[in-house]
Amino acid sequence: MKKSVYKSAMSRLRTSDDFKEATYQKLMLELDKTTNNSTVQKEPIIMEKSKKKWTGWTVGIAAAAILTVGVISINQNQNNPASTPTNQEQTAEATTKPPIMGKVAVNIDGVISEVSPDGKSFKVGDLWVEVTDQTQLGSSEPTAAEPSEELLQKDFKVGNIVSGYTAQDVSTGKVTADVIYNNIAPQADNGGKPATTAKVQVNIDGVISEVSADGKSFKVNDVWVTVTPDTIMGIDGPTAAEPSEELLQKEFKVGNAVSGFTTEDLSTGKVNATRIYNNIAPQK
Amino acid sequence: MYNSYELNESVRRALDLYSQSMIKIAFAYLKNIADAEEVTQEVFLAYLQKRPVFENSEHEKAWLIRTTINKSKNMLKTGWFKSRNPVPEDLSYLPKEENEVLQAVLSLDKKYRIPIHLHYYEGYSIQEIAVIMQAKAATVGTWLARGRSLLKDKIGGLENEEICL
Repeated sequence: MKKSVYKSAMSRLRTSDDFKEATYQKLMLELDKTTNNSTVQKEPIIMEKSKKKWTGWTVGIAAAAILTVGVISINQNQNNPASTPTNQEQTAEATTKPPIMGKVAVNIDGVISEVSPDGKSFKVGDLWVEVTDQTQLGSSEPTAAEPSEELLQKDFKVGNIVSGYTAQDVSTGKVTADVIYNNIAPQADNGGKPATTAKVQVNIDGVISEVSADGKSFKVNDVWVTVTPDTIMGIDGPTAAEPSEELLQKEFKVGNAVSGFTTEDLSTGKVNATRIYNNIAPQK
Repeated sequence: MYNSYELNESVRRALDLYSQSMIKIAFAYLKNIADAEEVTQEVFLAYLQKRPVFENSEHEKAWLIRTTINKSKNMLKTGWFKSRNPVPEDLSYLPKEENEVLQAVLSLDKKYRIPIHLHYYEGYSIQEIAVIMQAKAATVGTWLARGRSLLKDKIGGLENEEICL
């Protein structure tokens, strides 16, 4: 046998034309599968982080809404027209349950009563909050706008309204903030002139304690709210679902939990509802 | 360690350089191109998963050939491979002389035809074949001698062949 005959025969042997490409594709598929498997292993961790962030964000919004109502109510009761502008249309319904697993995010919300000499810690209520390099300033949500100078001031000063959260134990009296969403300076004195040029929206949120005879007005937190033909019912928007009968009952009854908002002055004790998000019958 | 880009490039390069050699070795074992290609794919899969580090391209080629031989042996041992009765590979498209030689080599016992293939097709020396086949050089020499002798009976020739030692 001559070497060249065997070699030539083997060289002529027909193999699949696309063997290289098919093999390469198969290998890349396998590589993707391997990568995906390692991603799946990481997923619970990612989910947990995401849940924590989302919970913190939701609780933060709800608390900010309550805080805003409180601040506005105080301002209105003191006949101070210099109301604080609010982030509009916040749903006060967001009474989220604490997560079953993972750290509990605790809100930091209130007015700064004291600031440390280095300016990196401040006191809200009885809690000292430290802001470190690890503290995230502003929201990192994908749809969140860049934090403005007005809503997230660089310096923490006495009187500023702050909101954020921490995952640390607040019972120690000192925590490090995980996220600071807002650091808003109090409204400067402008000679007693009304500061607002736009309407202020005030949340209506609570349980109906009284209903008028015609059923079109109800009393929530000492304020009579009237539902007019102009009142918008439910949540609109491109992604909003149709309001269900359960969440938005037609009749306002004593004991129902309502949420919505008005642009009228609460201090008069009687307002027309601009929008009603929910009218939920109490649980039986 | 490779990063994914280096790994992709390394696999693609190995495919270009060595896949034909590997298919031919697997074919010498399994006598079937489809099976040989399947084994070769498995070898590249192992390459991708194990990500071996090689000293040089010869080392890489030797690893691929060794793995091809191992995987071919494994396939021969499988129940489904033994139980089936495949149609012989159609080699009629080869020139007559080449066809006869190839059929003669394939008819040898695998312990003879693999050293013959590695020597006559890949051009490896007995020592190199010994390393690849994890056998003693003398044993490889014996396999080659016996293989040639058997081929001589079938197709003639070989008496003037020299094997580098």
